[in-house]
Amino acid sequence: MSKLTIGIADMKMAKGEGMLITYALGSCIGICLYDPKIKLGALIHIMLPINMETGRKSPMKYADTGIRETIKQMEAKGASRARMTAKIAGGAKMFEISGGSLGNIGQRNIESVRLNLKKEGIRLLNEDVGGSVARTLLFDVATGQGCVRSYGRPELIF
Amino acid sequence: MAIKNYDELSSLELDTLKEIGSIGTGNAATALSQLIGQQVRIQMPEVRIMGYNEAIEWIGGPEEITAGVLVKMSGQINGIMLSCQQLEFVNLVLRNTLGKEVEDYFGLHEMECSVLIEVGNIMISTFINALSSLADIQIELTVPAFTVDMQGAIMAVPMAQYGGQSDYIMTIGGNFVCDGKEVPCRLLLSPDIRSLNVLLRKLGVSGE
Repeated sequence: MSKLTIGIADMKMAKGEGMLITYALGSCIGICLYDPKIKLGALIHIMLPINMETGRKSPMKYADTGIRETIKQMEAKGASRARMTAKIAGGAKMFEISGGSLGNIGQRNIESVRLNLKKEGIRLLNEDVGGSVARTLLFDVATGQGCVRSYGRPELIF
Repeated sequence: MAIKNYDELSSLELDTLKEIGSIGTGNAATALSQLIGQQVRIQMPEVRIMGYNEAIEWIGGPEEITAGVLVKMSGQINGIMLSCQQLEFVNLVLRNTLGKEVEDYFGLHEMECSVLIEVGNIMISTFINALSSLADIQIELTVPAFTVDMQGAIMAVPMAQYGGQSDYIMTIGGNFVCDGKEVPCRLLLSPDIRSLNVLLRKLGVSGE
């Protein structure tokens, strides 16, 4: 089975079969989008909630532009928005810092991803978000099954 | 001239930052040496400007577990300073302070963790103190935060913090050599762009 690794601020798609993997999601979020009928899956690794960059060179860095751009690319490959579902993981708070906005990025990412999925009319099937653990997310395009690997926690299938 | 992105740094400016890294890491090594009662040398510190994924490969892969001590800077300089402590370093510290070693990170309990936090905190504070007196700037530090987890996610903390400004992360820091052996303890300073400009101006290398 082919294995595709998705880096930070990146997105990859696979059709029919293949394993999409993104490693060590901290406050970042991995978003699996899937059209079960044609077995087209995409995995996005976003880092921040809202794109306010001028020029917008890396849409996949942000929840809003990342989700929008990925749906567009999936539709171009024959996916239907009505059939599309989502599974998300990440949004942790890695460090407990007193004072300062440092720890809130994860939470803001979670809220932005949920909001943008809703706005685009995508059903959110399952999520493993928040807390304080890093997560590695695997997404099997053949079955639409996700798997979350963390340090010191049993594997989670969703 | 003030820079807008890390890749606009001139070679003079990079050399200056390398020197800061050298002085800061040197001071931190002295502090560590006193704590553990061993001679500690430093390797030539590096200034690296890396893309996100490049930075994670550089530190040794995303899923590798590491202990991280993080301190946030504010005042005239905003930024994050991280001490990434791999198992070899953890055991060097524990052996020379508590007289014990751990097999893996699961062996770290309250006492061991608080030693590691303290060591990280002292090294970071010493580094920042050197920087602050060298450039004559005020820097305030938060209480240190600690976690044991995948290093990719730990490295992503400074990235996410400054991700809206840049697609790159700048790190200044280096490894230690103790007992003739290289011990990977990465002390990483990641200032934001505005602070970098303040720092270079204060040091008199940014022609303005």
